[in-house]
Amino acid sequence: MLEFFRYDARKRVKGSLYLSIGMALLAAVVIWVFPSFRDTFEEDELLEAYPEAMLQLFDVQTMATLEGFLAFELYVFGWTILLGLYVAYSAAGVIADDIDRGRMDTLLAMPVSRGRLLAEKFAALCVPIVTVNVLVLPVVLGGSHLIDESLPVADVVAVHALSIPYLFACGGIGILCSVVFDRSAIAQRVALGGTFGLFLLESLLENTDYEAIGAVAPMRYFDPNEILLEGSYDLVGAGGLVAMTVGLVLISQIWFTRTDL
Amino acid sequence: MAAIELEGLTKDYGEVLAADDLTFSVDHGEIFGYLGPNGAGKTTTIRLLLGFISPTAGSATLLGRDVRDRRALIEAKRRIGYLSDEPGFDEQATGAEILDLHASIKGDTRREELLESFDPPLERRVREYSRGNVQKLGIVSTFMHDPDLVILDEPTSGLDPLMKQRFADFLRSEQERGVTVFFSSHILSEVRRLCDRIGIIRNGRLVTVEPIETLLTRSGKVVRVASATPIPVERLEIDGVHDLETGTPKRANETVPDGEFIECAFTFTGDINTLLAQLQDYELMDVSIEEAPLEDVFLRFYGGE
Repeated sequence: MLEFFRYDARKRVKGSLYLSIGMALLAAVVIWVFPSFRDTFEEDELLEAYPEAMLQLFDVQTMATLEGFLAFELYVFGWTILLGLYVAYSAAGVIADDIDRGRMDTLLAMPVSRGRLLAEKFAALCVPIVTVNVLVLPVVLGGSHLIDESLPVADVVAVHALSIPYLFACGGIGILCSVVFDRSAIAQRVALGGTFGLFLLESLLENTDYEAIGAVAPMRYFDPNEILLEGSYDLVGAGGLVAMTVGLVLISQIWFTRTDL
Repeated sequence: MAAIELEGLTKDYGEVLAADDLTFSVDHGEIFGYLGPNGAGKTTTIRLLLGFISPTAGSATLLGRDVRDRRALIEAKRRIGYLSDEPGFDEQATGAEILDLHASIKGDTRREELLESFDPPLERRVREYSRGNVQKLGIVSTFMHDPDLVILDEPTSGLDPLMKQRFADFLRSEQERGVTVFFSSHILSEVRRLCDRIGIIRNGRLVTVEPIETLLTRSGKVVRVASATPIPVERLEIDGVHDLETGTPKRANETVPDGEFIECAFTFTGDINTLLAQLQDYELMDVSIEEAPLEDVFLRFYGGE
């Protein structure tokens, strides 16, 4: 067991390191510019200049504290959006790419079920997801120390930890696209569009009569502001994300098992 | 129980009947050639057998296991090797990494031995491989777990003549070890050299399954004769001459009487000794006796469409 997982995981190490370096740079820049933002604007003076729709879209609460600034600039933007899209995009290539490039026949000629192949390849997404969180976390904590700001360590650890089920759920959206669309370019585009669409849906329907519809979006269950500003962790939401991931993987397995390749 | 059995196996895509009611079997220890022009349905048949696509009707077994039963088919695959017509490997991986993955799933008792005959550059990445090297890697991955049955889709495409010969010798020695070989090809001569029996498929339908000797006599040769002296046409009025075309190229100091020729071409399905006896009294400049193209064989024996 786990042969395909090990193989795919190893193949993802290099890309995951580059991804982590990129996100660490983003984190460093965000922390580096914070003092000048803080000193230039009184309280949330800057926020008032932003259009209301923008604030709602990115769920911006405050930029007067490092926590609030990070929640918006790094976690909502970098994690919820960028990494979410990255994982969905990667997952969308997992099956479709092998089919597209004529590799699937060679893989499935081995004594392995399609369900197992899909599950192991999906699980290998843990490499970028975990690596980026583990490597960027010390950059955030170290960076805040360098600018003499103190961050609640537990909350920062929590936002990284709780982003893991969120990112897997985005991967679930991608893997479903990967089996539904047989061309990887299309699967990846739909995964990107779908994930970003869910983000917009969730953000824009908030506080409207249609708020309930946003419950299908993984973004509903991962809220960096709540974690960093209020120190409250939505463990039920995290459980929901795990369930969403498992559900999406199961549907993908059934779909993949029953399709003609 | 045969190694491979097809019973009315059908794949209907609506617009195309890619496999139409295929029924035949391949015995244990046999080299079975699956012959047909490109697009005839050879690859579709193989992909049905390996469960990549599901039949719309009929059934098939591999090593006694129903290919429609997913679990049973996975069991069968432990003892099956498969070489796709375009073996697809992870281009970013090295040949050694690919073989390691295959080994971890199905074993590699014969890897080293195979690498002595088929030696792709294992330390290089697959994306740098030539077509021939990809094929060699495919051959090693197909046979490394010492399968009882191998299914090969156009296995010699991409191999140079020397490798083709080596591969043919290898398949014969595998047969002696008791391995069953099912291989598809669109090259008649290749199938002829190797196979015990041949199945011919065209437009998704099985045209015939017969032993190699039968096909050899039925398929015919293309004969071309150039003579220094005129030959009467009646010399070629013997059994087995078809589509005779005669000609008399303009040469100086040559006059060819009516009913005679100095050049001709025809398809011949008779005894080659009889033919040569008919021509022995003439001074020939050139004679060529070649295998008939596969398409001609189809047209001759199975009618055009």
